[in-house]
Amino acid sequence: MKLDTSGLESAAPVWGAPSELVDGFSAAPSFEVPNTTDFDGFQKEAIQMVKPAKGTTTLAFIFKEGVMVAADSRASMGGYISSQSVKKIIEINPYMLGTMAGGAADCQFWHRNLGIKCRLHELANKRRISVTGASKLLANILYSYRGMGLSVGTMIAGWDETGPGLYYVDSEGGRLKGMHFSVGSGSPYAYGVLDNGYRYDMSVEEAAELARRSIYHATFRDGASGGVASVYYVGPNGWKKLSGDDVGELHYEYYPVMPSTVEQEMVEVGGA
Amino acid sequence: MSIFEYNGSALVAMVGKNCFAIASDRRLGVQLQTIATDFQRISKIHDRLFLGLSGLATDAQTLYQRLVFRHKLYQLREERDMKPETFANLVSAILYEKRFGPYFCQPVIAGLGDEDKPFICTMDSIGAKELAKDFVVAGTASESLYGACESMFKDDMEPEELFETISQALLSSVDRDCLSGWGGHVYLVTPTEVKERILKGRMD
Repeated sequence: MKLDTSGLESAAPVWGAPSELVDGFSAAPSFEVPNTTDFDGFQKEAIQMVKPAKGTTTLAFIFKEGVMVAADSRASMGGYISSQSVKKIIEINPYMLGTMAGGAADCQFWHRNLGIKCRLHELANKRRISVTGASKLLANILYSYRGMGLSVGTMIAGWDETGPGLYYVDSEGGRLKGMHFSVGSGSPYAYGVLDNGYRYDMSVEEAAELARRSIYHATFRDGASGGVASVYYVGPNGWKKLSGDDVGELHYEYYPVMPSTVEQEMVEVGGA
Repeated sequence: MSIFEYNGSALVAMVGKNCFAIASDRRLGVQLQTIATDFQRISKIHDRLFLGLSGLATDAQTLYQRLVFRHKLYQLREERDMKPETFANLVSAILYEKRFGPYFCQPVIAGLGDEDKPFICTMDSIGAKELAKDFVVAGTASESLYGACESMFKDDMEPEELFETISQALLSSVDRDCLSGWGGHVYLVTPTEVKERILKGRMD
């Protein structure tokens, strides 16, 4: 059969006069190259543009009774799932929690470092550090390492003298105070459910269910989130872990399998 | 992520005693986002021949349509169904036609040949055939699938045992892959019947 050589023909014009070597052949196999002065730079930018965001889903929100913090537990390396049981909510001290998104080593190290600095503050000033102060300490450290390749997208949640506090801190040096945040590649899906169901005056159980559902919906749609949905509550007496449910089982709890109507069924035919 | 990992897929076919099973995951995604959880990756060419296509979903759909067209022409000319070995050669030739601008798919072909002997084979995206006597795998979860099949496979399994084995191999492998899973679809084919089953899996 005749080989389909349409892939060999090139749209680009042939440069220079055709020589005897080239005569009889179509233009050398090639593909269209973007018309730019710096092709390597352009290529690098294109790769960076499609680079996936930090593969995880974490969220936290303030409500009447305190702060609710929740996260998934999947660690992925490209397409491979390296672990389904990563602890993404880090206990800085008994009344403050940090969430992990981005590089696991970066988050674990700097949160532990923050815990040390908070304890030193307590010893030096004979009183606990505020959430504002703790988040500022972390933000300043991360700002000083800006551009060196740290990858941290964390939320600091805690309860201090002024009540519940929630800050978002990242490795670009940004620090934001807010009422609700969600960080990671699954955050758009979590925001959808969280924004829809959020009310300031919820009970602890209602808030926990909202957080759990938001994480579950993010794990369903996002490939880089999954495993176990952990939910923590931070109240006036410190943090408490409320639940850690496997999202595989949560799916069938929220959407149980219904016996579907049979479209075609084969039956035994009686002996003729 | 490469073009083969754009949509995500997992496919496996296994040989048993006078029967074969072919299974796939059900996810269709756009990189990390899941779009559908009921995507059909395995299609019937005729009662004793099934084709699974992993890789880029658009190429899989187009390639499937071209192959069905060629098989229908064959049926009109020869007045019979194509043998699995012949069909494998046809797929290989069609893929090599596009050697310098290939379909980004990896097909898995499974069928019952003469004397009900099961036949399975897979190919790379430019048509290199790989015939196997026991199992073949394809897709983003292929490395995990190789490991799972290698350890779970036994020769000459009866249809029910083959179904259990292929289901467990598929579900445990896609649980280690971000881009495939969200359920499973298994076809178990014996000389007398075809059983289609949906597997309940982790939806994350």
